Amino acid sequence: MTGPMTGPMTGATPATPALAVRSMSVAYGAMVAVHDATFSIAPGEACAITGPNGNGKSSLLMGIAGLVRRRGGVEIFGVPAPNGDVRWAARRGLTLVPERRQLYPGLSAVDNIVLGCYCWTSSLRKARASRPFGLALELFPEIRPHLRQPAGTLSGGQQQMVAIMRGLASDPKILAVDEPCLGLAEAMSRRVYDALARIHEAGTTLIVVEEAPKRALTICDRRVEVRNGVVGTP
Amino acid sequence: MKFGNLVLAGLVTGSIYAVFAVCVSVWYRVSNILNLAVGDFAMLGALGVDNLVRVRNWPLPAAILTTLAVVAAFGYVYDRVVLRLALDGRRAQEGIVVTFFFTFALSFFIDGVAKVLFGTDVHAAPALWNGSSLTVLGGPHIERAGVLVLACALIIGSAFWLYIRYTLGGKAMEACGENALGARIAGIDTRRYRWLIFVGTAVIAAVFGIVESPITGYTYLSGATISLTGFIAAAYGGFRKPGRALLAGLAIGILEALLGGYVSAEYGDTVLYAILATLVLAWPRALGFSSAVSG
Repeated sequence: MTGPMTGPMTGATPATPALAVRSMSVAYGAMVAVHDATFSIAPGEACAITGPNGNGKSSLLMGIAGLVRRRGGVEIFGVPAPNGDVRWAARRGLTLVPERRQLYPGLSAVDNIVLGCYCWTSSLRKARASRPFGLALELFPEIRPHLRQPAGTLSGGQQQMVAIMRGLASDPKILAVDEPCLGLAEAMSRRVYDALARIHEAGTTLIVVEEAPKRALTICDRRVEVRNGVVGTP
Repeated sequence: MKFGNLVLAGLVTGSIYAVFAVCVSVWYRVSNILNLAVGDFAMLGALGVDNLVRVRNWPLPAAILTTLAVVAAFGYVYDRVVLRLALDGRRAQEGIVVTFFFTFALSFFIDGVAKVLFGTDVHAAPALWNGSSLTVLGGPHIERAGVLVLACALIIGSAFWLYIRYTLGGKAMEACGENALGARIAGIDTRRYRWLIFVGTAVIAAVFGIVESPITGYTYLSGATISLTGFIAAAYGGFRKPGRALLAGLAIGILEALLGGYVSAEYGDTVLYAILATLVLAWPRALGFSSAVSG
């Protein structure tokens, strides 16, 4: 199996946080969703971002990933992230599994997953033979019978699995998962959390956004609370 | 013999519809915008080469290369100036009706420029393969330009199919149209794909115009008719399935030729569009029209 270049990040030292957020704000017009957020996450750590819905958790994550424009600084393994450039974040090792999955409904499940490799290769052959793609397929064996099925025809739980598999195929150093259990049955939620725990155990830094902290704290070492757009430690 | 000749003639006409249908559906797949100007790029190719060769006495290869370069540059500038401003700016426009007008306006603009540059008479690029018509299997006849048109359609259709099916870039291109946000999250540059495919399909259309114009002849208004037929064939593929659009284009061409030969040369087109409309009303879902409407 081949794989992406996974050597140490340029400029990163043992003390360098995987993710450092400094005085970050996100606004939609006049409405400020995140105020002056500052926190950091160490390499290999699992951090939960919790708080009531509509209080800025997803905006915080989208600002970090570069999906929305922000003020303030974000560093990934010590390297300042350009503002509003989600592609840079993906290529640098920060992969987002967004709320509502954002799959490609007309493409097959396997094409959805293999496109996760796009941030480190442009070769379909290399992508299919790669270690991250293989690990992604191993993570949820129950998806194997549905790999040729259009992603839009899968159940909600299966779609969430495919979204996580796509994230894993990108060979993330930091995997940020937004509301992974939204709309899922209890058994499926447990399955998704088991998989996230395995990803974290393999050494990936994990960020989990959840409304309720109880479930997130079963796999996370610490928690960051977002209330009314203000980030704090409970 | 008559049937064979009609089918061959229909295949040639159908190849033209098929290629434009593929161009429309491939770009729609990437950008969710219907390109109504695709036929105008064919017209620009044909009349541009004719003008450089006939009026300015350029050698044919230089005229073809220059015309294709101008079409590519025009497509690139249009993406940078109009589409980037309209789709990527702070007041980004969305919705099929609004974005429809971006290429509708482009079609009118190209027609106006072509009228000033090339006049209103019928012209054609010089034939790339001269000689009398060829006989197929000792029976039906086909013009040499028709053989080139069929070959181009086959090459272009196969190239798109192979690109989408067997390359990660092709799948990334599809992802852009399926879910632009999801594509960006995976590190795919959606803007780059949009302009690459727009410029690529503009050049393909221009090549086709150059190859095909010796058969039909073009005026500055020919682009709209070609776009319309390509648009109808693309609609039969739900605008998102280039393979189905290609087959629909070929089928429409053959049906048109058979109706013209056996039913009525005068009312052939009227009967053809009546049949196409009936098919849509009878089996909208099977023909992909429901996906065309719902996206």
